[in-house]
Amino acid sequence: MAENTDSRAHIRETSVSLAVNLGGLPMKNPVTDASGTFAAGREFSAFVDVAELGAVTTKGVSLNGWQGNAAPRIAETPSGMLNSIGLQNPGVAHLMADELPWLKSQGATAIVNVSGHSFDEYVQVIEALEDADAVGAYEVNISCPNVDEGGMTIGTDPASVQKVVGACRRATKRPLIVKLTPNVTDVAEIARAAVSAGADALSLINTVLGMAVDAERRRPQLARVVGGLSGPCVKPIALRQVWEVHNAVDVPLLGMGGISSGIDAIEFMLCGATAVAVGTANFVCPTATVDVANGIIDYCERQGVSDVAELIGGLQC
Amino acid sequence: MANPVNERARLLSNDPVGPRLYLMRLETPIIAKTTRPGQFVHLQIPAADAHILRRPFCVYARDAEAGTIDVLYQVVGEGTRLLAKATPAVVDATGGMSVLGPLGNSWAAVDEAQSGSGLHVLLVGGGVGAAPLYLLAEDLIDAGCAVDVVLGAQTEDALVTRERFAALLGREPACATDDGSYGRPGFCTTLSQEALDAGCSVDGAPFDRVCVCGPDPLMKIVAAQAHEAHVPCEVSTERRMACGIGACLSCVVETTDGLKRSCADGPIFDAEKVVW
Repeated sequence: MAENTDSRAHIRETSVSLAVNLGGLPMKNPVTDASGTFAAGREFSAFVDVAELGAVTTKGVSLNGWQGNAAPRIAETPSGMLNSIGLQNPGVAHLMADELPWLKSQGATAIVNVSGHSFDEYVQVIEALEDADAVGAYEVNISCPNVDEGGMTIGTDPASVQKVVGACRRATKRPLIVKLTPNVTDVAEIARAAVSAGADALSLINTVLGMAVDAERRRPQLARVVGGLSGPCVKPIALRQVWEVHNAVDVPLLGMGGISSGIDAIEFMLCGATAVAVGTANFVCPTATVDVANGIIDYCERQGVSDVAELIGGLQC
Repeated sequence: MANPVNERARLLSNDPVGPRLYLMRLETPIIAKTTRPGQFVHLQIPAADAHILRRPFCVYARDAEAGTIDVLYQVVGEGTRLLAKATPAVVDATGGMSVLGPLGNSWAAVDEAQSGSGLHVLLVGGGVGAAPLYLLAEDLIDAGCAVDVVLGAQTEDALVTRERFAALLGREPACATDDGSYGRPGFCTTLSQEALDAGCSVDGAPFDRVCVCGPDPLMKIVAAQAHEAHVPCEVSTERRMACGIGACLSCVVETTDGLKRSCADGPIFDAEKVVW
């Protein structure tokens, strides 16, 4: 056992066709990371080759950068965690000068997650990124529950969703993925609003609003009191919402929420996801993205599935 | 700094050594060879699937030949409580314990000592924070430095690193206990101030550097003492972490250069730059 050490993990060779197309973004396999759990991949490059992933989804970027929230920013909860990082980021110029060239040098496909505190900021971030050639698609975060303005309000109101997605749509011809919040009464209604405004694909779910309390000290565990719940504990919520949205709209879906194995990923694809994102599992194991991809291959080979795309929406109810 | 690896470690021992204190020995051949003082490992708690996050611990001691590292830890919550229950048999049955490391930076004092010679270094460790200073003391002494050690703990039976330091130094470290059960009664900051005033116990020369690890209030006081004495000071920070490799931005430390990541930019910081 002592010699049994992991260096970089790799996605293994297979005869299974793994390629999918996410709203105009060709992916060599269905696996990316969930924004915010992977930075822009460089921190994980001692463990995985980011070029092997279907795409690398970068951490949310705003126009001039945000400071983020006060600490403690995380708390562990049963089979999950809460975070209120607050979208700390150094701004779009830094992403273009540093992370995107690195991703390009690695041969990775980049999905850039775009955040804003106003409709204009989303558009300005996209306009800046239009000059970068290393962007495969945008993922518009209309749903981050961590910031005071923007996120939460936009993503929970169909009219606001239509407005921001429409503005982003007019700013780019690149594939536009809109990331939905689960903290709504009817996710299908929000999904329809995003698609009607020009979204090429939808990603879901973002984190679920939650809270953790330290009873002994009678204080919240997070400095910001509430935060976003993620990890295996949210998977049933995520599967249900992916299934509902799959039945409501015709665009491809990027499913996420508690995926830590190939079987988890297959469950999302059966519920209608074209591709999947691995999030909190990256903190559990830095090879989680590759592990999930290999688990998808295992399943396909075992079940005699020659093309992974056959599984999309294949749930038999 | 060596690239981090994910080793499936055997747990060789995991024993109580003081009040809520445990000493764990792990078989991690690569990490044992590559760890520098101040770096940490990020451990998965065995047989506790609902606790998804790893726990970070500084490396207390390493034996490159035997391929082992020692970790001294305190039970502070549910995760460490479960870790304390882990046995070699359970860990073997689950295929080993996932250990990421070595992670984080190292003390600048080591580089400085290895490039020059004859540095006088004062090490100040509070509670379980004494553990990461042991590896530092080893490397500093190897590099020809004169090292003085000040340790503080609540009680005598919590001074669990004292004997190892005494064996390494060839003399007793200066100790303080909150309850006066061993050494100077009260906080070890009295001893660190006296050491800075008196100079190195070996030859009376003024200290060239102070390295401190312990609770934030202790590090803040010692940093102020070192500042007053015009001695460069480094501190080892501890924050709640998720990824441990610089991606998630959970473990931020406020510095005069902005927010830094304890896991990747630290855990060691120049005390002058930390905003306490």
